[in-house]
Amino acid sequence: MKPSPFEISRPVTLDAAQAALRGDDHGTKLISGGQSLGPMLNLRLARPAHLVDVTALPGLADIRETDSHVEIGAAVTHARIEDGEVPDPIAGMLRHVASGIAYRAVRNRGTIGGSLCHADPAADWVTAMTALGAVLVVRGGTGAREIPMAGFMLGAYRTAMAEDEVLTTIRIPRYSDQARWGYYKICRKVGEFADAIAAFVADPASRTCRVVFGSTGGAPFVSAELARQIATTGAVPPVETVKAVLRDSGLNLSDVKIHQLAIAHSRAVTEALSDA
Amino acid sequence: MPETLTLTVNGEDCTVTVPPRTQLAEVLRDHLDLTGTHLACEQGVCGACTVMMNGRPVRSCITYAHACDGAVIETIEGHRGDPVMDQLRDAFSRHHALQCGFCTPGMLATARDIVTRFDVADEATIRHELSGNLCRCTGYVGIVGAISEVIAAKGATSAPPAPARDTKPFAPFEPVETAAAPTPTAPQGSVSIEGGWTVVKRSFALSHAPDSVWQLFRDPARVAPCIPGATVESLDAESFTGAVEIRFGPIRARFGGRGSYDNDDAARAGTIRGEGDDKQGKSKVRGALRYAIAEGTTPQVSRAEVELRFEIDGMLAQFNRPELVTGFVDYILAQFAANCDAVLSGGEAGPARRLSVLGMLWSVLKARFSR
Repeated sequence: MKPSPFEISRPVTLDAAQAALRGDDHGTKLISGGQSLGPMLNLRLARPAHLVDVTALPGLADIRETDSHVEIGAAVTHARIEDGEVPDPIAGMLRHVASGIAYRAVRNRGTIGGSLCHADPAADWVTAMTALGAVLVVRGGTGAREIPMAGFMLGAYRTAMAEDEVLTTIRIPRYSDQARWGYYKICRKVGEFADAIAAFVADPASRTCRVVFGSTGGAPFVSAELARQIATTGAVPPVETVKAVLRDSGLNLSDVKIHQLAIAHSRAVTEALSDA
Repeated sequence: MPETLTLTVNGEDCTVTVPPRTQLAEVLRDHLDLTGTHLACEQGVCGACTVMMNGRPVRSCITYAHACDGAVIETIEGHRGDPVMDQLRDAFSRHHALQCGFCTPGMLATARDIVTRFDVADEATIRHELSGNLCRCTGYVGIVGAISEVIAAKGATSAPPAPARDTKPFAPFEPVETAAAPTPTAPQGSVSIEGGWTVVKRSFALSHAPDSVWQLFRDPARVAPCIPGATVESLDAESFTGAVEIRFGPIRARFGGRGSYDNDDAARAGTIRGEGDDKQGKSKVRGALRYAIAEGTTPQVSRAEVELRFEIDGMLAQFNRPELVTGFVDYILAQFAANCDAVLSGGEAGPARRLSVLGMLWSVLKARFSR
């Protein structure tokens, strides 16, 4: 179906983008690659009167690196990450995650920043970036601020960003060559919304270990308990242990969801810890 | 306001003037008469509309006009002088890789991309890469065979080496504790589907005595402002009219409607029923909220048991993500509970949203959005 009518602007400065966002109450929506918003527009679930295209803003398509971090502009597409244009903060993980997002035709337009800001619980980057301890740089009316991924997503389609803030950069810390990662998602069909996602990152050099569950219906669930157990033992926790943690998570997860998440976790950690 | 775009389609410069909501597929089909690009699902899933944009396959149904200014597009009518596409067309023909042909324009765009990106690809890889293009005739066997043949003709003999990985055993370590994540405080309850109805049962605590909580709940004029997003327009002893505004990510709706309520003071229980429609979005919602107030862990606090049933028809019912219901309803209930506590403490409901009886419908709606 054709979307409801909208006007669109493509500002080339952040000030202009913020002015556009402040210009109208509730009827204005940012758009980046439009691969999540587009279906909602066509189905007329979303009917914004104004769209503000962020892809022409300065720096949003840039990829930078420092000694300690890799910085990805918010409008960098999944396909560019899949193709290895982004330096590895941890060997191979970004390419692996990017290559599993929807389909190549979608990855060619969809962007990492758009996915994070859309904050769909079943999306890949919200879980992967939480596992990697990324920090999001957002720019609002009062200047730039940083939001750690751990507190970024508040619930389905809800984030810690204010209405007039624009995500500009995803800053990912570099991991050592001893770091291990695992990422596994369970989908009914390739490219569909995931039923369960599990991510695992461990780096003995920085003594970092994170266990994250995605597609929980809300924000990713981080288990410090499982992270500690894996880091100190080097062993994959029994599935029943993982299920107990998920049951006690306060998330009201169904038995089916708990099983899917536990299996995804088991596969992700097994892959990460295998020496093959 | 229509915008004028200049783009190169199949090697020819084109200028079209279209409204911003126009999809690339519509630019091609309706303005340039290139009807070989097919539209089916129009939500990025089926792949029929896939075309090449600046050398990469994209969904032309969710690529809007503004993004196409200056773009170079190749459609099924084009690819002239492209040896890869010539080989694919020939192979598709010989392998019977099409029957009705509806998916074929998108299949060929994707196939060209697969052949370009992979020097070696086994059947599983090709099928994986093809997962975003649906064919209802062939069973994919001929399509996979055709693509496989064209890749094999590239003459590469082996897959690129797998990336080297650390073969040292994992050395356990004591992790640095990171700040504990905030513990979710989701209320207890269940979510189920009964016929066409979604039923959410929840139990949550309020920090005031049952009698005062019940005095609030039984009075729609007082409790309404505690419900996020709702406004009451009229109210009498057993019915009301009003509206409720829903905001769920990019989804916005405003449902106007009417309902009734009744309370049982002895049982400290009641029911609100209502229905409304969102005229702009052509959706309807019906719902009922049952509530009961009991003593909590001490006589000074209460526990509210609520059961919300709702049904949505129309555009919004297309949002088929049932598992997002829980989180959304809990989010609304948490705001509602906080507002109730604030009002009972002599304050006002949070400034963020005014509510009304229909606010409950609002949460219904929102929940339904998430379906």
